[in-house]
Amino acid sequence: MNMIVCVKQVPDPEVPPAKFRIDAKTKQVMPPEGIPPVINPFDERALELALRLKDAYGGKITVLTMGSAKSESVVKRGISMGADDGFVLSDPSFQDSDSFGTAHILAAAIQKIGNYDLILCGRQASDWDEGVVGSIIAENLSLPFIALALAIEAADKALKVKRVTTDGYQVFSVPVPAMVTVCWDVGRPRLPSGSGVIMAARKKIPVWSAADIGVDAGQVGKGAARKEAAELSRREWARKCEIIQAETPDEAGTKLAEKLREVGAF
Amino acid sequence: MERFDAIVVGGGPAGCASAYVMAKAGLNVLLFERGKFAGAKNMWGGAFFGPQLNELIPEFWKEAPVERFVTRHVLSFMAENGSTSLDFKSTRFCAAPYNGFILLRAKFDGWMAQKVEQAGAIVAAGMRVDDLLFQEGRVSGVKVGDEEFPSDIVILADGVNSLLAKKAGLRSDFLPEDMKQGVKEVIELPRETIEQRFNLVNDEGAAIEFVGTCTRGLPGGGFLYTNKNSLSLGLVIELGSLVKSKLKASDLLEEFKHHPDISRLIEGGRTVEYSAHLIPCSGLAMMPKLATGGALVTGDAAALLLGTGLILEGANFAIASGMAAAQTALEAKEKNDFSAGSLSRYEQLLKESFVLQDLNTFRGAPAFLKNRRIYELYPELAFEIFEAIFQSDGMPRKGTLQVVKEIIKRRTSMISIVSDLWKARKAI
Ligand SMILES: Cc1cc2nc3c(=O)[nH]c(=O)nc-3n(C[C@H](O)[C@H](O)[C@H](O)COP(=O)(O)OP(=O)(O)OC[C@H]3O[C@@H](n4cnc5c(N)ncnc54)[C@H](O)[C@@H]3O)c2cc1C
Ligand SMILES: Cc1cc2nc3c(=O)[nH]c(=O)nc-3n(C[C@H](O)[C@H](O)[C@H](O)COP(=O)(O)OP(=O)(O)OC[C@H]3O[C@@H](n4cnc5c(N)ncnc54)[C@H](O)[C@@H]3O)c2cc1C
Repeated sequence: MNMIVCVKQVPDPEVPPAKFRIDAKTKQVMPPEGIPPVINPFDERALELALRLKDAYGGKITVLTMGSAKSESVVKRGISMGADDGFVLSDPSFQDSDSFGTAHILAAAIQKIGNYDLILCGRQASDWDEGVVGSIIAENLSLPFIALALAIEAADKALKVKRVTTDGYQVFSVPVPAMVTVCWDVGRPRLPSGSGVIMAARKKIPVWSAADIGVDAGQVGKGAARKEAAELSRREWARKCEIIQAETPDEAGTKLAEKLREVGAF
Repeated sequence: MERFDAIVVGGGPAGCASAYVMAKAGLNVLLFERGKFAGAKNMWGGAFFGPQLNELIPEFWKEAPVERFVTRHVLSFMAENGSTSLDFKSTRFCAAPYNGFILLRAKFDGWMAQKVEQAGAIVAAGMRVDDLLFQEGRVSGVKVGDEEFPSDIVILADGVNSLLAKKAGLRSDFLPEDMKQGVKEVIELPRETIEQRFNLVNDEGAAIEFVGTCTRGLPGGGFLYTNKNSLSLGLVIELGSLVKSKLKASDLLEEFKHHPDISRLIEGGRTVEYSAHLIPCSGLAMMPKLATGGALVTGDAAALLLGTGLILEGANFAIASGMAAAQTALEAKEKNDFSAGSLSRYEQLLKESFVLQDLNTFRGAPAFLKNRRIYELYPELAFEIFEAIFQSDGMPRKGTLQVVKEIIKRRTSMISIVSDLWKARKAI
């Protein structure tokens, strides 16, 4: 099975939110200096599912990221986990693309790679959490689309895709090629092996520009964005402590309940 | 499995320096770092002396993530009710090749690891070396999980708690008396505020060391270094006495932050990082065997660190020892002889360099620095003397010498001071 997994480089989500700053002008979240960005944890799960399919059926996994030349690290992460190949898509015109632009760029590269049975995306990118790029790629490439897959089985030119719903599971059958986004419940992604890291370190990762994948600069980037970020702010958490004075536990309970109602907790 | 010329364990200053030299010389080098990236979990105070790194990477300050250049050194004796400080500034320290550099490890180690990769070595981060491989009684590689990685030589640069040096039979357990516990907070403040409060311009930086009440009289001291947009504030306290006194370093740091000398310097700041780490501090007395067949031990793992009480030099010693280990490996490769005998060249190189010479010069320092009077008595004495000198109480003044004599007599004896000074003369 030939698979393409789209992975995004994101600021390390393990860094406590207090350490991030918000740049009001560019409406960007500024991670603390010195802490390198990482692979989107949701995409690591998409990779894990791809690797399980490769373990079961054989095949090839190609990792794709749109970003800067430095985004090479997430492609290498994929290869160290067991993917076979990877590309970075980077071009000044790609900068500040919205989800449509991003999907357009990824779809163009997917077409250039060609000969694929399955495209996998994470359920969402942990930085902006929109969760739409996968579905737009499906639309651009006219592929069947399934969101939030938990497991996939191959069955003669078709795939059986199990997905999670609130109370249970659904299984769809789709022809290949198909576009699938992967849910968190897939479980812990495997860690890279030492030999995987060595292989990835030595691998040259090609960087494709807009021209390389035939993307028209007018269709991507800030200019082509269908929406504009107007504001970015942090959720403020306020902590307040008030000791309820009462003679008996009953009275304390009543007073507490009244207080909670008063502040609108219920 | 592919065989590497050299495997380096640890991506701190020692490991990066040795991997860099070997890779530049054309060896096939693999460096393992257990942190998610080099520097991820590492800490130090942050005042770094540059000559070794300048030798390794000429004019490194042009590309390394230097926070500030140290142009101002302050030594402050903290007493219960005030402090006495020595404030040194040098205009010569603000120009290349500079003297001291203030650095943050997450950025600095990351940069060093990048240089190592550019030199042609493989940096495998997020990989912890669990064990050593042995063949015919000598070290022949490392084990990461179930994977085995053979190599001609293994450079141990895994820091103060080096389990691997123990596995290689080079050292036994360190004692709490041989260790200092370091704790540190990074406190964010606007750049301009820092420059105003510390009287700095542009990239100038201040390195302030504290002795006295900040450790409640326990052997050790405090430090405060100015980064670009933050302060590194911390304490270093001998572990043995900390354990005995049942005090916690983190509590003492909290107390330190509330000392009036400190609280006004950090006012309005936001703590963005807290970290703790051990420092080997007994010098030559705790130094392990440095070499065995197929392996060398460097940096903190070999306790190659100089603490004279006034300065703590670890990173530059780590870099110098890493470079010497690399040099040894290159010569061994040339002869294709990685036996213990061939690798004993490492100790010889260290003896020829400042590393073992300084540790020898200051070999009395660790014992001298255990003298509690340095931390309990002398800061108070200095405070009382200057207070008496500066205070005007409406009475006729006594001669300065008379003041000093009286205070000393009340607090201690001239004999014990002379004896301490005599020991100091020999130790530091
Ligand atoms: C400087 C800057 C300016 C921006 N300006 C705008 C703007 O003007 N208008 C606007 O709408 N948005 C803007 N954005 C947000 C940006 O467009 C989002 O990154 C984009 O919409 C993708 O959404 P998401 O990251 O939430 O991805 P999701 O839709 O949550 O991602 C789902 C999955 O798609 C894949 N994927 C997503 N991105 C990539 C990628 N780069 N490479 C490989 N795979 C990927 C991954 O598999 C991921 O799990 C801006 C972002 C930046 C950094
Ligand atoms: C509070 C404090 C303040 C200090 N202040 C200063 C100062 O101002 N100036 C100065 O010069 N020095 C200072 N030092 C000392 C200095 O930090 C050390 O001497 C120096 O970092 C030693 O370098 P190293 O490379 O030997 O070890 P480390 O810097 O400890 O690096 C060891 C590396 O090995 C990795 N590692 C460990 N085990 C494994 C394993 N099994 N597998 C893979 N990787 C492993 C670790 O993650 C780490 O990255 C200070 C230290 C402390 C604690």
